[in-house]
Order: sequence, then structure tokens, then C-alpha cells
Amino acid sequence: MTRSSATTLNALGLYAVAMVLATAFGAQLLLHELPCPLCLLQRVAFTVLAVGPIMNIRWGPRPSHYALSLLAAVAGAVFSSRQVLLHIMPGDAGYGTALLGYHYYTLALTAFTAAIVLLAAMLLFDRQFEEYRAAQAVAPGTFATTAVWLVIALTALNVVSTLLECGFGACADNPLVYELLKR
Amino acid sequence: MEFTVLFLAVAIVMVVAWWGRRSLALGLFAVVLLACVATYLHHATDTLKLSF
Repeated sequence: MTRSSATTLNALGLYAVAMVLATAFGAQLLLHELPCPLCLLQRVAFTVLAVGPIMNIRWGPRPSHYALSLLAAVAGAVFSSRQVLLHIMPGDAGYGTALLGYHYYTLALTAFTAAIVLLAAMLLFDRQFEEYRAAQAVAPGTFATTAVWLVIALTALNVVSTLLECGFGACADNPLVYELLKR
Repeated sequence: MEFTVLFLAVAIVMVVAWWGRRSLALGLFAVVLLACVATYLHHATDTLKLSF
């Protein structure tokens, strides 16, 4: 795998993270379901997961950049596992609406596990790392640059949304209204 | 409030990773990841009070 194809795959990874964040936003706005603290932490883990691909696109693919994403994916898998275990008892309705038969935290655990496998698979291809010492920085194309700014914009939207939801205090365990929009 | 700060911190790390120094981005990433784990451990001791 060449450096340029690795960069393209990293950009695709960023689009996948953007899709996850946009879907979570869609559910929040269309279904009027506010994310709980653990749900928010899983969203944060998805955004942290995106830092590795951003650095791969900006500085060229390096094993250390993939390691960042692996650490974030493992943390995200731990966070979502906890929420799965909280609702694992028979008869528990789960938290929030199910999407395609699965609750968001179950889908998040699946996504984080898939990310771990895919990141490990990416690390199998050594050729992508051979060129990084020769050229320290590369000019990324429009496809990759758009992916980067899309993820940054969605993360910034989450800053606003979470501020509206939680206000300046601790987030409610089972939030029903936006704290800053309460009358 | 802690989640707002976490999202803001990740956004800053992303911008630094894109525009700033690589070493600074790596350092900030470590701080954010540790903050995430600390937040998780803090909430892991809570009992979730669900309405259903």
C-alpha cells in the first residue's frame, strides 16, 4: 500500500467518523433524545479516534498516528461496553431508541471493535511508512481536506450542543431538556 | 460541563494536529485521552438513575 492510498483510506475513515457523529446528531434532533453522560463520552471517543487519521493526512502515515487511534478505539470500546452491561439484564428496555434493532451503545461497541480491527489491518502494510522520512509534510487533496474540516466542524457542533444540554453544571443522568434553553 | 470541555479540547487537538506542531498535538492528545479516562472512572462510580 502506497502513502497516497493510505492517505485516501484515512480520509475515508474520517468520513466514517463524520457519519457516526452526524447520525447521532440526527437522532438527537429528529427523535428529541438527548444523549446521556456515557453516550456523550462515547461521542467524545469517536472524535478522539479521528485525531490519528488527521495526523496521517497532515504528516504522512506513521505507526504512532495509528497508535493514537487504537488507544482511542480501545477507550471507546470500554465506555460502550459499560453501557451495554448496564442494560444487559433480561427485560431491560435499554436507553433510547433502537436503530436497526440495536441501541446506540451496542452499535458504538461494534464500531469501536471494527475500528480496532481495521487499524491493526492498516498497520500490516509497511510500504506506506517508507516514504515519511523523505518528505515531512505533504499537501493533502480536496477529498482529504474536506474530511478533516467536516470532522472538526461536527466536533465544534458537539461543543455547542453539549453546552446547551448540560449548561454550566454536571450533565443529568437522564437528560430530558436542554438546560440552557429552559424557560 | 465536563463533556463540553472535552469536546472543546478535542477540537483544539484536531486544529493543532492540522495546523500546529506535531509534538504539541501528540502531547495534547495524551492529556485529552487521560481526561476522558478520568471522566469515565468518575462516572463509573455513579448509579444511573433512569426514568424507565
